[in-house]
Amino acid sequence: MSESAISIRNVSQRYGDAGAPDSVLALDDISLEVRKGEFVCLLGPSGCGKSTLLNVIGGLFKPTSGTCHVAGRLVDGSPHPDKIAFVFQESTLFPWYSIIENFRIALKFQGIPQSEWDDRAMQALKAVGMSSFASHYPDQLSVGMRQRVNMARGICVETDILLMDEPFAALDEQTRMVLGEDLSQLLAATGKTIVFVTHSLAEAVFLSDRIVVMSARPGKIKTIIDVNEAHPRSPDFMLEPRFSELRNECYALLRDEIRSTMAAQRDPQSAGA
Amino acid sequence: MMSSSRSSLAFWLRLVLVAFIFAALEIYGRFYADPAFMSPPSGIFRAFVERILPEPKIIEALFLCVLQIAAAYGLSILFGTLTGLLVGATSFSRSAFFPIVLLLFAIPQVSLLPLVILFFGLGPAAKIAFGFSHGVFPIIMNVVAGMRDVKELHLRAARSMGASRSETIRHVILPHAVPSLFTGLRLGMTMTLLGVILAELYVSTGGVGYYTRLFAENYNPAPLFALIGCLAVIAILFNELVRLAEKRLTPGLRRSAALTNLVKE
Repeated sequence: MSESAISIRNVSQRYGDAGAPDSVLALDDISLEVRKGEFVCLLGPSGCGKSTLLNVIGGLFKPTSGTCHVAGRLVDGSPHPDKIAFVFQESTLFPWYSIIENFRIALKFQGIPQSEWDDRAMQALKAVGMSSFASHYPDQLSVGMRQRVNMARGICVETDILLMDEPFAALDEQTRMVLGEDLSQLLAATGKTIVFVTHSLAEAVFLSDRIVVMSARPGKIKTIIDVNEAHPRSPDFMLEPRFSELRNECYALLRDEIRSTMAAQRDPQSAGA
Repeated sequence: MMSSSRSSLAFWLRLVLVAFIFAALEIYGRFYADPAFMSPPSGIFRAFVERILPEPKIIEALFLCVLQIAAAYGLSILFGTLTGLLVGATSFSRSAFFPIVLLLFAIPQVSLLPLVILFFGLGPAAKIAFGFSHGVFPIIMNVVAGMRDVKELHLRAARSMGASRSETIRHVILPHAVPSLFTGLRLGMTMTLLGVILAELYVSTGGVGYYTRLFAENYNPAPLFALIGCLAVIAILFNELVRLAEKRLTPGLRRSAALTNLVKE
């Protein structure tokens, strides 16, 4: 087994003070090791704390208890932009900057010297086939194109670890599939460690090395499923019986959780966050 | 996107409507209205050429009015933007100070006009002060609102990329607030005009307000309407100025529309 890139130990996250009526336990004693170069999906019903866990790994939230180490460094509620990059939904591109300016600003924030900005940006845009749109503004592009650019922005900062928070949630299914394939190919080339949050079963099976299935709130790890399939994956993988088996397995695990979440959402006391 | 034939149709329709209103006013003013209260548009235009243009004192008064509006508006922009940025900087400063702004804005300022005149005298200072006190609030409120509405996702993205607090303000919060700032600037313009002209009408010893009252009290509607028309033109010109600035300075409005259509198709 290779060394671990992300090591989460006994992480719990509570919103609001314990005991208060509106307090919510989002994560309950999560422990997880992510190996270097591994693609891990966090799969679970909405509101199960998948995004919270991702934000804890990325240093955007400080966990209520427990520790998280990334590349041997303790992450404790402050971001490590030299190690970790985030890719959120496509609407994260700053609409007031053109595409190339969006890249420059990301690289500037990360502290990369100015002389490298444009080379790196164009390289990343070429990798996703968007280099001719560098001077466009985000709202001049289609949603799928925006997400392509957004992915490229996350890749151009060249961190070892990429955290993706439902990046394809706003896309239609066809675009999702195509971008998923692209992502699989791009990442096989870079060897990055990826944690990917999704609630799409097919996406999880298609992309991941391991699928971490989480239970409804409070978020706990229910099972971890191994997908033994080499990257980059071709769309043919989706036609294999093993693909449907894995997807059905995930669905069976999630069904009860989704039902209990829906039941909880009918009760206003436990909704929110 | 509206096709060019439809937008030109809209233009002509608009023109026809305006022409119809002018014709109706002309007919009513000429044949039915009491000449002590109303003048037809042709009479107003004649009064503009014969009574307003040749009168250097009136032209001077109009010029002074423009200066007062410009001064009041300049002060409103400067003070309004700065105050807005300070109040809107953090959620703490907003919750601490914004209620004061809202409270002051809620006061019907006309009731304070006599006090303003008492403080600043009968000259331009009172008009500038009153224009400023009207114009500054919409600007403050919209700057604060613009900074507050910044998307959580954008802030989180900036933070994850390692942006410092000042970088976040400069590259995320401020650009986000620009459209809202211009909404404030446009409202502020209208309010500044209102403030200056209100003060002019209330007390004036030779400004536009003086002549307005002179013509009104002498039942002389033609030059009165001509003068009001001049004020309307001034207001329109100032508003156009703000609109042009908005078009040039709002990021994202700079790009060409043709390019947008090309990609979206």
